[in-house]
Amino acid sequence: MESSRSLALVASMGRRLFDRFKETVLAVQDYVLLAARGLAALFTPPRYPREMVAQMDSLGVGSLSIVVLTGMFTGMVLTLQSAASLDAFGARPYVGRLVCVSMVRELGPVLTALMVTGRVGSGMAAELGSMVVTQQIDALRVLGSDPIRKLVAPRLLAGIVMVPLLTIISDTLGIFGGSLIGIFNLKLSWEFFWRSVGNALTINDLVMGLAKPVMFGFILSSVGCHMGLRTTGGTQGVGLATTRSVVVASVLILASDFFMTKLLLLLFPVT
Amino acid sequence: MAKRRDEGEDGEGESVLDEGQAEAAARDVDEPVISFRDVHVAYDRPILKGVSFTLSPGTTKIVLGGSGSGKTTILRIMLGLLKADAGSVVVDGTEVTALSEEEMRDVRLKIGMVFQEGALFDSLTVGENVGYRLIEEGKLDEAEIEARVREMLGFVGLATHFDKMPSDLSGGQKRRVAFARALVARPQIMFYDEPTTGLDPITATTITDLICKVRDLDGVSSILVTHQLRDAYNVARTFMIKKDDEYVTSVVEDVSTVEGTEFMMLREGTVVFEGSPHELQTSADPYIREFLS
Repeated sequence: MESSRSLALVASMGRRLFDRFKETVLAVQDYVLLAARGLAALFTPPRYPREMVAQMDSLGVGSLSIVVLTGMFTGMVLTLQSAASLDAFGARPYVGRLVCVSMVRELGPVLTALMVTGRVGSGMAAELGSMVVTQQIDALRVLGSDPIRKLVAPRLLAGIVMVPLLTIISDTLGIFGGSLIGIFNLKLSWEFFWRSVGNALTINDLVMGLAKPVMFGFILSSVGCHMGLRTTGGTQGVGLATTRSVVVASVLILASDFFMTKLLLLLFPVT
Repeated sequence: MAKRRDEGEDGEGESVLDEGQAEAAARDVDEPVISFRDVHVAYDRPILKGVSFTLSPGTTKIVLGGSGSGKTTILRIMLGLLKADAGSVVVDGTEVTALSEEEMRDVRLKIGMVFQEGALFDSLTVGENVGYRLIEEGKLDEAEIEARVREMLGFVGLATHFDKMPSDLSGGQKRRVAFARALVARPQIMFYDEPTTGLDPITATTITDLICKVRDLDGVSSILVTHQLRDAYNVARTFMIKKDDEYVTSVVEDVSTVEGTEFMMLREGTVVFEGSPHELQTSADPYIREFLS
């Protein structure tokens, strides 16, 4: 009697695990299909230029202030921390070099992507999720529009184009913020700081610093759209989709950062 | 037979579906515009279990049933928003069960759909919502689209609401805008998904009058999904004629004389009744009696 009850419990747990696994596989399959169809829609008509411009404005111009602040303060704190460590080796003059390479190769792309994910990726999921629960997506289809072309493709394009541009701004302001700390706090000369920045940066750094945000922009917008379009369960579902979108996109950005770094270091080794 | 004059909020206009019906008229009058044969759909549980029915040209089918009985699923299958697991669905001579999203677009052009809450696009004005399909098609220039949209808004009595946002409208006005949006491309078939749910009786009557107007003046075939018995009977018993440039509404008191409207009742995915309003009213089936009471 006892053993049959345990067996039933194990079987029920097994079933639930299998169902969960099946759901995950289906979700991944849906995501891949959506992302592929969204990308394909960018290269084939009909396109929606008005939507594309609106999304670029919303993602790019709308995120400018948070990216400026994030970049600047990151550069400033990085300079302070690096100087404290470098001082132990009498290497304070190298602080500009360190800050610049760290910002361009790593911190600029990752922090910009994470900030934009929080602000825009969640917004995409919430907007599309609301459209799903109020049947606006169904209405779009009935009225002859393809939601992937009309809604997903413009958001993907906005992510792919605007996140690298925001990253450039973030990197620049990060280094500028670092230079302010270098000059006023660490008593380095303006000219020395910027010369060390100029000497430190190589083409490989720039390739790495610009390849990553293209991928991150694609990830945050495709995950936002995917989570939004899979929304079920009314307004509560919209809230869940928004949270999931931020969590999944952030994890994917950090994980892909590692793999991209590994790959890019192989392709463009540090000289 | 009681008569009352049709009244609009502002600028209620002419019959608007006076063209685009040639194809429907040329078709064999006996050939159904919609044919549903042994359709099955299941998710976690069966939703439709072998549903079959037909819709004749120019007639109305009113689908009744409780929540979760599969009423809306029927509309979604016909629109290609959902695929049936088994069975055949023919819309205006086209088998839609195996059509791709791209191929389904041509079928959808023949259909107008009024969603439960209107499903208006939040980010677009009323005018842009109504003209959406025409803008997407790109066959008309801007001036023609605007004229057509204003005509449609006049038809539903909202001529002055062109530039408003959906958030500025009441529930009833949203449904009427949705109505105008569905009609703007002159569809041959109209689907209404709970168009009066959540509306007060007077606003609901405005909506049912619009349904009758489109049916009687333009010969559009329609399927009305509802659980509001009062509104269902309003649609069955109300007839609209145009007399001396004015719309006159006639209400048939004796439902046994009603023609052109059929009722169908669903229960847990199965058709438990199909027949005239009179047959529904006199049915001895305990479930139907309970539903009607």
